[in-house]
Amino acid sequence: MRKTDADGPILEIDSLSISFFTRAREIPAVMDFSLTVQPGEAVGLVGESGCGKSTVALGVMQDLGTNGRIVGGTIRFKGRDLAQLGREELRDLRGCEIAMIYQEPMASLNPAMKIGRQLMEVPMIHGGLSAKQARAMALRMLEDVRLPDPRRILNAYPHQLSGGQQQRIVIAMALMSKPSLLILDEPTTALDVTVEAGIVDLVRDLGRKYGTSMLFISHNLGLVMGVCDRVCVMYSGEAVERGSIKDVFDDMRHPYTQALFRSIPRPGADKIRHPLVAIPGNFPLPHDRPGGCNFGPRCSYFEAGRCDAQNLHMAPVPGKDRHETRCVRFREIDWNQPLQAPDRAARAQVGEVVLEMEGLRKYYEVTPNTLFGSGGKRVVKANETLSFDVREAETLAIVGESGCGKSTFAKVLMGLETATDGKITLDGREIQDKPIHKRGRALVADVQMVFQNPFDTLNPSMSVGTQIMRALEVFGIGRSDAERRARMLEMLDLVKLPRDFANRRPRQLSGGQKQRVGIARAFAGGARIVVADEPVSALDVSVQAAVADLLMDLQRERKTTLLFISHDLSIVRYLSDRVMVMYLGHVVEIGATEQVFAPPYHPYTEALLSAVPIADTHLQKTRIVLEGDIPSAMDPPPGCPFQTRCRWKDRVPGRLCERVLPPDIPLGEGHRIKCHLSADVLAEMEPVIKPAAT
Amino acid sequence: MEQLSWTGALGPWLNPAIGAAVLAFGIAAIAHMFVALLTAGQRLQHAPGTAARHSPLAYRLTRGGLSLALGALVVVALAYLVGGILLPPDQKGIIGYLSTRFLPVWIALGLTFALSFAFRRRLGLYGHLFDNPVGMIGLGLVLFWVFTAVFAEMIVTFDPVRDVLPGMKNRAPGTPLANPAQGQFDHYLLGGDMLARDVFSRMVAGARVVLAIAPAATLFAFMVGIVLGLPAGYLGGRFDSILSFAANLVMAFPVILLFFLLVTPEIVEMGVPAYMAAVLFLFPIIFLVILWNARYRTHPMRRNILVGLTFLIGGWLYLGLAWDADPLGLISIPDGVLIVFVSVVFVNSPTVFRIVRGLTLDIRTRDYVAAAQTRGEGAWYIMLWEILPNARGPLLVDFCLRIGYTTILLGTLGFFGLGLPPDSPDWGSSINAGRGLLQVFPFPPLVPAVAIMSLVLGLNLLADGLREESLKD
Ligand code: SF4
Ligand code: SF4
Repeated sequence: MRKTDADGPILEIDSLSISFFTRAREIPAVMDFSLTVQPGEAVGLVGESGCGKSTVALGVMQDLGTNGRIVGGTIRFKGRDLAQLGREELRDLRGCEIAMIYQEPMASLNPAMKIGRQLMEVPMIHGGLSAKQARAMALRMLEDVRLPDPRRILNAYPHQLSGGQQQRIVIAMALMSKPSLLILDEPTTALDVTVEAGIVDLVRDLGRKYGTSMLFISHNLGLVMGVCDRVCVMYSGEAVERGSIKDVFDDMRHPYTQALFRSIPRPGADKIRHPLVAIPGNFPLPHDRPGGCNFGPRCSYFEAGRCDAQNLHMAPVPGKDRHETRCVRFREIDWNQPLQAPDRAARAQVGEVVLEMEGLRKYYEVTPNTLFGSGGKRVVKANETLSFDVREAETLAIVGESGCGKSTFAKVLMGLETATDGKITLDGREIQDKPIHKRGRALVADVQMVFQNPFDTLNPSMSVGTQIMRALEVFGIGRSDAERRARMLEMLDLVKLPRDFANRRPRQLSGGQKQRVGIARAFAGGARIVVADEPVSALDVSVQAAVADLLMDLQRERKTTLLFISHDLSIVRYLSDRVMVMYLGHVVEIGATEQVFAPPYHPYTEALLSAVPIADTHLQKTRIVLEGDIPSAMDPPPGCPFQTRCRWKDRVPGRLCERVLPPDIPLGEGHRIKCHLSADVLAEMEPVIKPAAT
Repeated sequence: MEQLSWTGALGPWLNPAIGAAVLAFGIAAIAHMFVALLTAGQRLQHAPGTAARHSPLAYRLTRGGLSLALGALVVVALAYLVGGILLPPDQKGIIGYLSTRFLPVWIALGLTFALSFAFRRRLGLYGHLFDNPVGMIGLGLVLFWVFTAVFAEMIVTFDPVRDVLPGMKNRAPGTPLANPAQGQFDHYLLGGDMLARDVFSRMVAGARVVLAIAPAATLFAFMVGIVLGLPAGYLGGRFDSILSFAANLVMAFPVILLFFLLVTPEIVEMGVPAYMAAVLFLFPIIFLVILWNARYRTHPMRRNILVGLTFLIGGWLYLGLAWDADPLGLISIPDGVLIVFVSVVFVNSPTVFRIVRGLTLDIRTRDYVAAAQTRGEGAWYIMLWEILPNARGPLLVDFCLRIGYTTILLGTLGFFGLGLPPDSPDWGSSINAGRGLLQVFPFPPLVPAVAIMSLVLGLNLLADGLREESLKD
């Protein structure tokens, strides 16, 4: 297959507009969008969900489905207008010059075909290679994407691999044809942080190695900073700012970019000194965008008569290289004005111990067959001897990746499961053996939960009001329906939702609003302990801050104890008092937030910290790449649970890590880690995140 | 009295018109097919995304022609119906008379559509049907038969069972009565069957039998399927394994054989169908009682009232239907009907069970179910109020399809002479009665066959429409 060689840009998008057509109306998804990708350059496309960034990618792939259509502008790939290409040419282009990687690796893999066959197909069909050459090439590529034991993997089926490995295979497959342009659409969103960090590193290094140009689409500013040279920020279908990473991150010239940066927690920000500022209002729906500037209704610099007068165009920022913004006032705004921190009450006073865990254990037995007798039983050790306590009005963050046992712990605490061993004491009462239907009404109302997925947390066929009323009913609050109705409206006020939302169906609400309803429901019975399971991770960045603040306001007012389950260390650092890090069912480190985020670390905490994407050019971090995947809880490794991936293991004499489960080592003031490392080795540890040397 | 023609005085005008319309439609269809094939390459090149705008001129021309021809066809067909109503009686043809007899149905249909269309934005899923041509046609067909069943008494021209008029045996459609003094109507509009009964009246009355049994039986099957399928999916474990096994067992049994067994006199004598009815009819009551109890356990008063009412009314119906022991003597169903009913419910329940179980397995992993659990809700509340309402889309679609299936099943049963009394006007029995002389006198079996076909077609289209619209939400 011939490849066209051209100097000049690889991809040139010029005033592209894309609309989707429904029976009722035309929905513009992308408007007046321009972007250039030079050879070897990695360009990031950031924005919140629904801003049109994925539509741009589909437009480049000429794959808009039956309803989508390019209604204006051109896309040129190496100088050739894609709209003028025939079907055959397009297919060739997609097969070997442009490759796309999606969020879900399984969407690109054939589940019924061995990995090797799938990889070999590309060069055999498009490159005319023999099977043997193709196999050699596949093997080399698997080594390039740093998969262990490539020969075994060639003979495996996709479902036998973990999500991270699958995504590596997809990347390998995309690179097999040596494309000139690689489009990555949120390639790591479905993965755990440490796995994500590995993939991002890989993508960056491979891009450099093969000189591939990249279009990297993500909602995560930190990831974009890690991978890209230039970035384009999108809002509601338009590009609002474009430029080099440094220009956009440090000298942004668009109010939306600024607001976005102010709404994300950064390492170093805590909730008192650097409060997050949420962007007010909601994302406009595509069919009722405001006139003039799309960001107008939410912009704090809005000026009537100018911002909403006419359609805006990108304008270059003087004195900068290819830095452009879509704002009429960017010359007048004082960009260096410090953020005025909204007044907020000081941290609530932490009170007595309310909840205590002592050697809590939860094992599951998995039986393969239920109708006829018992096959071989296997035991999943989901929680191993958890011991800690939580005080009133305290926020304890529980951090860990999938499979670390945090959800199981939540279930046991809620009474959905009973503990295998150990004690849970709530206000002096032991509750580990009480399943939820044996707990009294008051106890149930005391321990409540906020769920992760806003699209799933509310029953779609019941109105918002009914769902809160039901919670009130069950918790025995209010004597009559009228009283409960009044109470329900108060709850809506409390979570800052308009009262007429009571009659709405969940599908009429945005993600953040649904999450607020979920919070209202959890607090309805005057809960004293609220388990929040990743309450903001599925929300758009600009609303995350608002929902997190709401949770903390409620906590402060009601002296609620918050157990905040999360994998996002930035937000954990921002809002928690104490942090507990879990790995494979063990608590590996626990302590006050400052203690956990500063050395000495537990080796796993160190790796986790280094994996957090940071959207700040003033900080630099040590990269620690964790090899391999999290072991299965069905057969955990002997000795230390982390020993299969630990980089400090060699510093412990006598291979102790592989034989003996390390004890809890107290480091003072309630800080303890589970590790064999000696005090002087621990003292050697350096902070993972440091100010960048300038 | 004269033999009626099909079209009456309209014939000379409309027959050529419909001929022309059919011809035009045929030509346009063939032309469009050719053009579509020839231009396929061109159109696909721009696809996807750009197809609609850039299709070649010839393609757009033939497509326009095709829709024009189709429109003409519909207009002429409507002209037959409307014209038939407007003509004076002595000029009407068979179609004209039929159309006039169905007048109450037309009025009801028109009203329903007009009202529904006007308020379609406020009617939820039902309202969305009116955005969907396929769903609308389906709904129209189904409602046609529903209204026919409702107004059957006004529509029929003769008594479908008792009016056996001498000289009218196996007559062609439009035959005048041999002795006009004998009946309240002058003609057998769709002919007479082998026992000299009016085929048209039997078809109309048959709609009533079919539409009384099929939806009710389907509803009962759903009650059984839901009451068993929800806990099987939600609780799982051994309960699930046993029930699933039993369901597979019933499903693996040949349906017709099962029916033959059930109507065998020895089995009936042993009371098997009666006992089955006793069990199966219990499910709706169980369903309602747990439904109220789960929802209103926090309001004991309201719960007690609702549960009490359910027991009272449900119990009364139950005694009457299942045991034929209604103390008031109002409710009873004939033995034959009971057997048919029970068999249909019995055959359908396992399938519904499996569908409900599958949906439950999916929905129970949702966060709102977990939220209900952490609120301390009981298992039945979660199943009936959190899971079931969110499974309603697929269940509704299946409900429509299943009524259609049940209708055919009823036809099959009637065809084999199982269950219903032999002179019952239901469509299956009528087909069975007429099939012997099908080649000589096609109308007696043909008319009910077309009726079954159109009802089932309507139900399937309706299900398609519902499915499409519920996916859009
Ligand atoms: S144009 Fe006006 S409203 Fe839009 S971002 Fe600039 S200042 Fe804000
Ligand atoms: S005990 Fe050993 S393997 Fe485990 S974390 Fe410490 S150094 Fe690493």
